[in-house]
Amino acid sequence: MSREDKETTALEYEENNEEVLKEELSLQFHLYILIFAIIYYVSWLVPGFVFWLYFMGPFRIFFLENLDFFSIFTNINSLLTLLSMPIILISCYLLHLLLIGLTTRIIWKITEKISPSKSGVIPRNIRSRTANYYHIRSFMIKYGKNTFTKGMFPWLSNWFFNTVGSNKIGKGTTIEESVGNDKFIDIGKNCYIGVNATLASHLLQGIFGNITYFEIKAGDNVTTAAMNQVGPGSELNDNSFLLPLASTSKHSIAKGGYYFGIPFRKIFRKKILNYLDLSPKDLERNENIEGYKDKKLIKELKKKNLLQNDVDYVHRENAVIEEQKEVQIDINNLSDEELAIDFATSSAVSRINIKFLIVYLPLLWVAGLVTTIIWYWYSENELSSMHFRLEFFLFFPLILFGLIYIFIVACLLFSKLLLLLVNLIHKPKEGVFKAEKRNKDYEFWMIRTELKKLGLWFMRNSPLPWTDVVALKLFGVDMDSSSHLPDAWCDPEFVKFGRKNLIGQGALIMSSMVVGRYLLIKKIFFDDYVMVGGHTTISPGTIIGKESVIGAVSSTTYNQVLEPGWVYFGFPAIKLKENKYAEEKRDVIIKRDVDGEKKFTTIHEVNIDEDKKKLIKTQKEKV
Amino acid sequence: MSVPNTMRVGPFTPTVLVKKRYLIFYFFLIWISIIPVLLEFWVYWRFLWNYERPIHFYTFLPLLIFGMYISIVFFSILFAKILLIIINAIHKPREGVFLRIPEDKDYRYWSLRNTIKRWPIWLAHKFPFPFLDNICFKAFGVKTKFSNSLFEGWVDTEFIEFGKDVVVGQGAIIQSAVIIGNLLIIRKTMIEDDVRIGSHAIVMPGTHIENKCILAANSVTTIGQVLEKEYIYVGIPAKKFKKNFFFEDGLENKIGHVEDIEKLREKYEEIYTKRYDQLTRKDRREKKREKKEEEKKRFDKGVEEWDDFDDDFNI
Repeated sequence: MSREDKETTALEYEENNEEVLKEELSLQFHLYILIFAIIYYVSWLVPGFVFWLYFMGPFRIFFLENLDFFSIFTNINSLLTLLSMPIILISCYLLHLLLIGLTTRIIWKITEKISPSKSGVIPRNIRSRTANYYHIRSFMIKYGKNTFTKGMFPWLSNWFFNTVGSNKIGKGTTIEESVGNDKFIDIGKNCYIGVNATLASHLLQGIFGNITYFEIKAGDNVTTAAMNQVGPGSELNDNSFLLPLASTSKHSIAKGGYYFGIPFRKIFRKKILNYLDLSPKDLERNENIEGYKDKKLIKELKKKNLLQNDVDYVHRENAVIEEQKEVQIDINNLSDEELAIDFATSSAVSRINIKFLIVYLPLLWVAGLVTTIIWYWYSENELSSMHFRLEFFLFFPLILFGLIYIFIVACLLFSKLLLLLVNLIHKPKEGVFKAEKRNKDYEFWMIRTELKKLGLWFMRNSPLPWTDVVALKLFGVDMDSSSHLPDAWCDPEFVKFGRKNLIGQGALIMSSMVVGRYLLIKKIFFDDYVMVGGHTTISPGTIIGKESVIGAVSSTTYNQVLEPGWVYFGFPAIKLKENKYAEEKRDVIIKRDVDGEKKFTTIHEVNIDEDKKKLIKTQKEKV
Repeated sequence: MSVPNTMRVGPFTPTVLVKKRYLIFYFFLIWISIIPVLLEFWVYWRFLWNYERPIHFYTFLPLLIFGMYISIVFFSILFAKILLIIINAIHKPREGVFLRIPEDKDYRYWSLRNTIKRWPIWLAHKFPFPFLDNICFKAFGVKTKFSNSLFEGWVDTEFIEFGKDVVVGQGAIIQSAVIIGNLLIIRKTMIEDDVRIGSHAIVMPGTHIENKCILAANSVTTIGQVLEKEYIYVGIPAKKFKKNFFFEDGLENKIGHVEDIEKLREKYEEIYTKRYDQLTRKDRREKKREKKEEEKKRFDKGVEEWDDFDDDFNI
């Protein structure tokens, strides 16, 4: 928006002098739980049936009851049951995946009938059916997405999205794991969407702002290398190649070519060769790819030695020990600027120490014991007497879910106990510490981290990862269940959340940071209604004021203070504009042509219930 | 610490599957690594199962499952390694620029290697602590030390060498192979001792990071870039930011923060956004022509200035 634009809108508000509605979203948790329960129950019922029948029937009789080790291999029945057990396991798993796909599809289609998903801005400050169904669908797809993309057969996830109907994915396209990519995208054939590259068809602007929900279109043969963020409504035309981290905001149009940077721009021949260390011949090969598909031609060329592309890369030796003068650095002479932390690193220190097994093993055993006792109670009649009882099979999915959570909760409680002990020995505190083995603060920080990791890891990998709030609260993060961080990295101590905070997908909240040989620990504060964008890094000591928004792919520096009511963006985040999303006109859309470097505005209908349309300002009314 | 729930993070094997028949190897590996574990279960069952009083059976069951899990990982690593040795003998993995088409042999074998490595790595990473991941790395030819922390980002599993005490940040990506357009570029990545890689940073193939370097968060290196030792690098692509003094002793009370963020931002902008491409004369002329044509075609209202920072970019 240009400056003039802003002024005119500001004037209008003064004239109107109306209060802008700011309702908190109401989420239909009963519907969420119902949908999850149906998907989970159906998808485990049949596989459970098959597995237990096989286990208690042939597997037990022929294999487990076989008394002699050698006769396992000589007895044909015994050998066959042993060899087919892995096959049964794999097919049960595949059956589970199939059933998830089919059930999700049915429920998805029902919700589409009630409130179809369509492009448009969904206001977030007014309660509406459209917003509700948007959220229900987002929730519904998550269980399937997690099991498919994180599971044993990630190759099936294209099938899943196409079956459910949330995405259209062309043939030969590979999508790596990512936080997004789960709905409303249309990808062509032979594309490669790299690790953590998110084609985000939805974009949140402020807690009382908008959900921008537009379909993303990607043509054929589009590749995004890694970590690319593409905003809703964007169009990547055929043969658009995004280098790592090339990102763009909503409604950008790329016409094809190589793109780089934030926000991404087209780069040309010289830069491509420079950044990718290619030879002009490689670029030429890239353009004339069709020619290389002809096998006969290639063979002939090879005979004539025309196709030699072997390049010997010279590697610098790993440790070139030169006769270097040890330059003594006088630390008293260093300037403030040299010692200021004006960049961000990370806090991902996890030392592999076999000693930790001493802690982990009893912990897992005790938690496992609680679980097996419950399982014993459940399966007593079935496994001891080996009678066929239908109840055993019918309630199996429920008990499976229960056992997982009993195990996790037991793990959490026992690690909390240990944590209390550790904290009694050495109290956690903020400050700058030496990251060395002898330093007590550093050592105890590591132990705390390792202890907390187990419970949090299990929670985040459970069927309902939203329960991680419980674990975080237990481990000393000050938060309530109204705010959540579904897909973010978060240090489990020295963080304080307010009400209704929303942390974006792939964001990182670190209250500790390892810089060189130092560990910085400083508490982070979030006030109410703060939103943090996806893939944003929040450094230690950051304080964020009420109703502030930090854009996606930004970062804050050490001890930065963000004022309330502003939108921040960039590296490091600075003020961009006031947070006026609730007052905005929602039907004006600024499209951006990346290649031509220009913008143009269009009008698109707001996506909200008919009866609530009068509550929002639109451009159309005036015209 | 708390890993995002929709991602697996950890050691990374791309899911590219050039030919569907590679899955046969995958199924075979799963099948063969489960069988020894079933034999373990048989031994346990024979010793402790009792139809009337299975109390001992259930008491030690958690430990058995723990043991079974560890042994299935080791068996899968063993069998995958044997398969890999055979496949590498047929076609040796090598660096270079290859084509992303099924006709390219290197691309096919790259995909096959990844498919084979996937099962052990998947299993090892389904375990909450990184002990098994590290063994996977070592088994599949990544030089690494137990003092490294590499498990909250994505690290490719071949053509990578690590020194000691390396920290890879949350969501960082260390690549040795990248797909851009129709090209698959494989280059060896080397990271020396005491390197800190920030969160969400990307190390492209062929990068050589020297001792005590810091690559700040949200930075990208280019292919074949060398980061000099004892410097802090920032930017897209990474450029020298300042000398790294944070490995010196006695700085506990001297480390400070920045008060004037706007000024820092200006400093950053020079590094981050100044990348106006040097167009050749021909490119420039073409671009001008295109622009004119499009302006004629399209009825534009309010073509605004192109700002570097978009107004709303939050996901």
